[in-house]
Amino acid sequence: MILRKLVCLLTLVLFLALPFAAVSAQDHMDPATFGLDASKPYDGTHLDFLICCAAAPQFASAAFKGAEEFTAMTGISVAFGDVPFGSFQEQLYLEASNPNTEYDIVAYVDAWGTNIYDYLHPLNDFVMDAGIDWDDYGPAYQSASTGNSDTIYGLPFRGHPLLLHYRADVLEAVGADVPTTWQELSEVSQAIVDSGMDIAPVSMYYGLNVDQNLFNWYSHLWGAGTDIFDENWEPIFNNEIGVAATEQYASYVRDGYSPAASVAWNEQEANQELIQGRAAMFIGWWWMASRMLDAELPEVSDNAAFAPAPGWAGGDIASYGYLWPVGILAQSDDLEASLEYMKWLTHPLTERRIVLDETSGLNTNVAVRLSILADEEVNAAHGGLQGIASEVLANARTIPLIPQYTEIVPILAETINEIAIDANADIQAILDLAAEDVRYVMESAGYYD
Amino acid sequence: MRKKRWVPWVLVGPALVVVFATTVYPLLAALYYSFQKYDLRKPPQFAVQFATELGDPLVSIDWSLLSLNNYARAFSDSRFINSLYVTFWFTVISVALSVVIGLLIAVVVQKNGRLQTLTKILLIFPFAVSPALKGYSWRYMLNEEYGIYDLLIDVVIVKPINVVIELVNILPFVDIAPLSESIVWLADKFWALFMLAMSETWGWAPLIALMFVGALGSIDDQIFEAARIDGANNWQIFWRVTLPLLRPVILIVTMLKTIFSLKMFDQVVTMTGGGPVRATQTINYYIHQVGFVRNLDIGYASALSYILVVILTVFAVLYVSKVLNRD
Repeated sequence: MILRKLVCLLTLVLFLALPFAAVSAQDHMDPATFGLDASKPYDGTHLDFLICCAAAPQFASAAFKGAEEFTAMTGISVAFGDVPFGSFQEQLYLEASNPNTEYDIVAYVDAWGTNIYDYLHPLNDFVMDAGIDWDDYGPAYQSASTGNSDTIYGLPFRGHPLLLHYRADVLEAVGADVPTTWQELSEVSQAIVDSGMDIAPVSMYYGLNVDQNLFNWYSHLWGAGTDIFDENWEPIFNNEIGVAATEQYASYVRDGYSPAASVAWNEQEANQELIQGRAAMFIGWWWMASRMLDAELPEVSDNAAFAPAPGWAGGDIASYGYLWPVGILAQSDDLEASLEYMKWLTHPLTERRIVLDETSGLNTNVAVRLSILADEEVNAAHGGLQGIASEVLANARTIPLIPQYTEIVPILAETINEIAIDANADIQAILDLAAEDVRYVMESAGYYD
Repeated sequence: MRKKRWVPWVLVGPALVVVFATTVYPLLAALYYSFQKYDLRKPPQFAVQFATELGDPLVSIDWSLLSLNNYARAFSDSRFINSLYVTFWFTVISVALSVVIGLLIAVVVQKNGRLQTLTKILLIFPFAVSPALKGYSWRYMLNEEYGIYDLLIDVVIVKPINVVIELVNILPFVDIAPLSESIVWLADKFWALFMLAMSETWGWAPLIALMFVGALGSIDDQIFEAARIDGANNWQIFWRVTLPLLRPVILIVTMLKTIFSLKMFDQVVTMTGGGPVRATQTINYYIHQVGFVRNLDIGYASALSYILVVILTVFAVLYVSKVLNRD
C-alpha cells in the first residue's frame, strides 16, 4: 500500500516537473533566449576557435557543452583548435599576426592580450547592441578585458581567483583558525611545525615556470600597499613597502614553512604536495580545487577546505584575478557569425549550464559572471566555492596591461627566483637592480619622453 | 641514344622545391628580418603583402630601412651574453661527458656475447626518447621530495662520502663539513646546468657508444695482438693503440655533439625553465623568448639566430671537411 502511494506520488511529481524540464530544454534551444537571429542568416558558416587545453575540464566544458545546440539554432558550426598550454602563447601570437589565419575567435591569457590588441575586433558596440550586462563581471575581469582602456577587446570567458586550499584536519589538530592574512599564515605554519606533525605547513612555488612565482607575490605587494608602477610608470616595487612584502613572501621558505625544494617548484608541483598529503596549505587558482576534492588519499579529500587567499595584516586583501578573455580576430571573414557565437558562448544561461554539468571530464567550478557566482544552485553543487570566489574577486586586481609587460615579467620572475634560492640574498639590492632593468624597458618604449 | 637532360631535374625538382620552401626561403627571410625592426605585434607591410598575394618579399625590400642595429644591440645585451656563457659551459660539459661515457660504454660492450648484444639493443632507447619528455622526466627524477635520482645520489654518493668525512674528522685539527643531503638540484645555478647537461648525456652517450663500438670493430685484431706480443698491458693497449686509432671518430663525434649541444632548447623549457634565475638560458631558449614569448621582436631574434648560425657553421664546416677527408 505504502509502495503504491509512493509510486503514485513519484509519478505525480514527474508529471508536474515535465513541463518545467521541457521549458528548460526549449530555452536552451530557443534562439531568442540568447538573442540569436532565428532566421539563420549565417547558416553553413564555419568558425574556427583557437582555444587552449581542451582536455582540461574548464576548457572542455566551455568548448563542447551545448555546441551542437548552437549549431542547430544558427546553422553555424564551430571547430576548436586545441593547443597545449606550453605552446599556446606562441601559437596565439603567430595566428593573430597572420593575415591568412584560419581562426576567427581566440581565447587568451589577459597578460598576453596586450600583444594582440591591434589584431582584435573591438567589442564595445557589440556589448551594447547585444545587451550584455557588463556590470555582471567584476572589476578585475573588466580591466583584464579592456586592457585598462575604454576598448573592450575580449569578453570574460574563463576566470580564476586565488584561493587558500587547506587541510581542515591539520588546522583543527593544531587549534588554528583559517589564516586570513599572510602574517597569520606564518603563525599557523609555526603552530604546525611546533606540533611535530609530519607535514609541511605550506607548499609555495618560487620556481621559474611561465612566471607562476609572481602570482602570490602580487598579492603580497598589493596587500601591503604598493604596486609594480606608480601613476607615472616608474617602478616602485622596490620601495620600503615592496621590500617588506617581498621579505614576507620569501619568509615561507626561509623560515622552513615551505619545503626547501619549493624554490624550484612550479604551481603544479606545489599543488601535488597538497594532493599527496605532504603539505597542509597551498594558495592557487580555484580551478585546482577539484584536484584536492578528488584526491586519492582520503585524509586529503575528506578534509579538503577552501578560503579566500590571505591579505596583508592591517592592509588590503588584494590578489590577482587571472582571466582568459575571448575575442574575435580582426581579419576574420565571418565577423557577424563570430558575434553570434559570442552571444551564445558568454550568455549567463550557457555559463550556468556549464558549471552545473556533472558529466565526467566536463565538470568544472569555473564561472566568471557575478550572477552565476552568486547562484544558490551553483554554489550548492560546488560546496560554496563560487561564494568564496565572489569574496576574492570583490578585491581582485589585474596586472599592468601594457605591451611591455611581457618583457618585464621575466625580469620580475627571475628576481623573485633569485631571492628565493638564496636565503641570505639582499632583497633590497636585488629589487633595486630589477627596478633599474624595468625602468630601462619602459624608457626604451618611450614612457618617460 | 641522346640523353634527356631534363629528366634529372624533373626527378630532383620536387625535393628542391620543398628544400627551398622550408629551408632556403626561411633562411633568407630571417636574414632580411635581422637587418630591420620587425615587431610581431605590428608586422611590416611587405610581410602582409607577401602573405596575401604570395609575392616575392625580396622584390619589395625597402633597403633604406635595413640596419645593423639588431646585431649591435646583441653585443650590449647582458641577457644574450649570459646565454652565450651558459651555452658554452653547457656544451663543454655535455660534450665531454657524452664522449667520455660513450667511450667507456663502448669498451665494455664491444665484445661479442648475448649480454653485450642485448645491451647494444637497449642502448638506443635513451636516444629515442623525445628531448621534451627527457626534460620532464629528469625534472621529476631530481625532485628532492620523491625523485629517484635524488635518492640514488644521496644513498650512493653523499652518504658514503659523509661516512668517510665523519671518520676523517676524528683526527685532531681536522674539521671537514659534511656534504648536504638536501641539495635542491634545479635551484642551484651550477647543479642545474650540470644536470641539464647530464640529461643530454643520458640520451647521447649510448648513441655515441654505438658509434664507437662500430669504430672499435673496424680495428684489425692483429694490431692488438702485435701490441700484446710487444708486452703491452690492457691499459697501455687502450691508451697507446685504441685511442689513437679512434681519434678521427672521436673528433667527428665531438663536433657532431657540439653542434647539437649548441642548439639545446627542449630540455631547458621542460626541465629548468631557464632557471634558476638565468643559469640555464641557452642561446636558442633566449632567441625563442625574444621572438615569440616576451618581446615579439622578430628582427632582433633573427639577428641572434644568425649569430648562432655563424657559430654553428664553423663547426659544421669542420665536421663536413673532417668527414670528407676521412672518406
